[in-house]
Amino acid sequence: MLSHATTRDWLIPYADGMLASDERRRIDGHLAGCAACAAELRQVRELNLLLVTLPAAPPVAFAPFWLKLQAVLPLRRSLRIPTLRSYRRLGLALAMATVAALAAAGSALAAPAALPDNPLYPIKQLEESVRIAFTPAHDRLTYQLQLANERLREAQAMADDHKPLLAKSSLRAFRVIVDDAAAALKNPADPKVAKDALRTLRVQLAAVERDNANRGEDDRDVKQLVADASRELDRIEQPETVGVPSTIVVGEQATPDPTPRSTPRPTPRPAPSDREHSD
Amino acid sequence: MARAEDAPSIEGDAEERRLIDRSASGDQEAFRQLVIRYHRLVINVAVRALGELSLAEDVAQDVFIKVYKALPGYRHDKPFKHWLHRVAANAVTDALRRRRPVVSLDGMLQPPPSAGSDPQDVATRHDLQRAVRHAIASLPPHYRDTIALQAFGELSYDEIAKALDIPLGTVMSRLNGAKRLLRERLGDLVRSEEANTA
Repeated sequence: MLSHATTRDWLIPYADGMLASDERRRIDGHLAGCAACAAELRQVRELNLLLVTLPAAPPVAFAPFWLKLQAVLPLRRSLRIPTLRSYRRLGLALAMATVAALAAAGSALAAPAALPDNPLYPIKQLEESVRIAFTPAHDRLTYQLQLANERLREAQAMADDHKPLLAKSSLRAFRVIVDDAAAALKNPADPKVAKDALRTLRVQLAAVERDNANRGEDDRDVKQLVADASRELDRIEQPETVGVPSTIVVGEQATPDPTPRSTPRPTPRPAPSDREHSD
Repeated sequence: MARAEDAPSIEGDAEERRLIDRSASGDQEAFRQLVIRYHRLVINVAVRALGELSLAEDVAQDVFIKVYKALPGYRHDKPFKHWLHRVAANAVTDALRRRRPVVSLDGMLQPPPSAGSDPQDVATRHDLQRAVRHAIASLPPHYRDTIALQAFGELSYDEIAKALDIPLGTVMSRLNGAKRLLRERLGDLVRSEEANTA
């Protein structure tokens, strides 16, 4: 029979299920005849209950989270700004001010129309990142569709200009945007608008494929990405065939699925390393 | 709770290692892939610790910024996920300690109200959770770091041992000490909750 003191020492690992079966039996034996230890065990379990019932996170969209993070990553890395929230907001405010200043000179710089091989393209990326982070939820789908169309316009232009790497980057970015917008597209406020938007995207996708093939190169990767993107649109239009959640959320499980994806997730937009010479 | 079956496969390890190495060299797309994998985990830890989504998202952003900066010094001698848990637990307990205790319920996450749930009960539960969070934040560092991984990170004893790089027996000893102190500090709150649920 265990002593009173020893039992009390072991109540917490006992309640956490960390004792071996013979140790558990010895504790059980003591608890059966000791009201004080049984009462203490109830308190230990109540504390455990409090700890495990702390509320988990509700679903949170990935895209806005990443865009806010991305907006400050380069600044923090290069300028070593302290990790205070006020400084991060200052960083974001500076980014917005930069975008506003560039927008004011928009006609001269023409960043909004810049293609991935244009030196002004990073400015366009910055502007889009800031805009989507601050777009109200009810306007977000409209802006996402605008960006998706823009990625396809870029992909078509790059395919037409013998720049398959940049075309691929734009197609990958297109898929990320569509993926993030999938939930809203499946349950749109105006089904006709969503249907028209999807039809437009299909027409543009076909144009990318046509230009890719017409160059005589028929780059296999571009072709594959177009096919993948087309399947993504199929999944959105036929929700009953969806096998995998198409939006990224948090809060459904305590830890992420560690199983790697068989294919890398696409990039939001062409990365600098993908840039090709324009001549 | 997260369990051993969450351990990545060999292929997953290799892919993750590649993403970590590329992120360490400044490849933001690779880092984005890491954030995709782990942002749910970090936000969940922060929400459980802080109870407020907007603050939790800010702290989660700080966690990933710290990780991004520290990646060049990261060695692959322990799983990235365990290291990330440790960074996240430190960040959320720091945020808890910096934060003044508040009385308002505004902005605080509540479990979805069930039919017939009494607002007074909800408020009481909320006060209790807030008291638990601040009691954890007030613990000595070695207790605080250990129980934060269990309470906020939902790690098992074995996972805590790996994350902190300490023996399993030390985890048991620290959790024992931490929970004893918590019960002392929460005192009547735990006892009254026991009476309510009895």
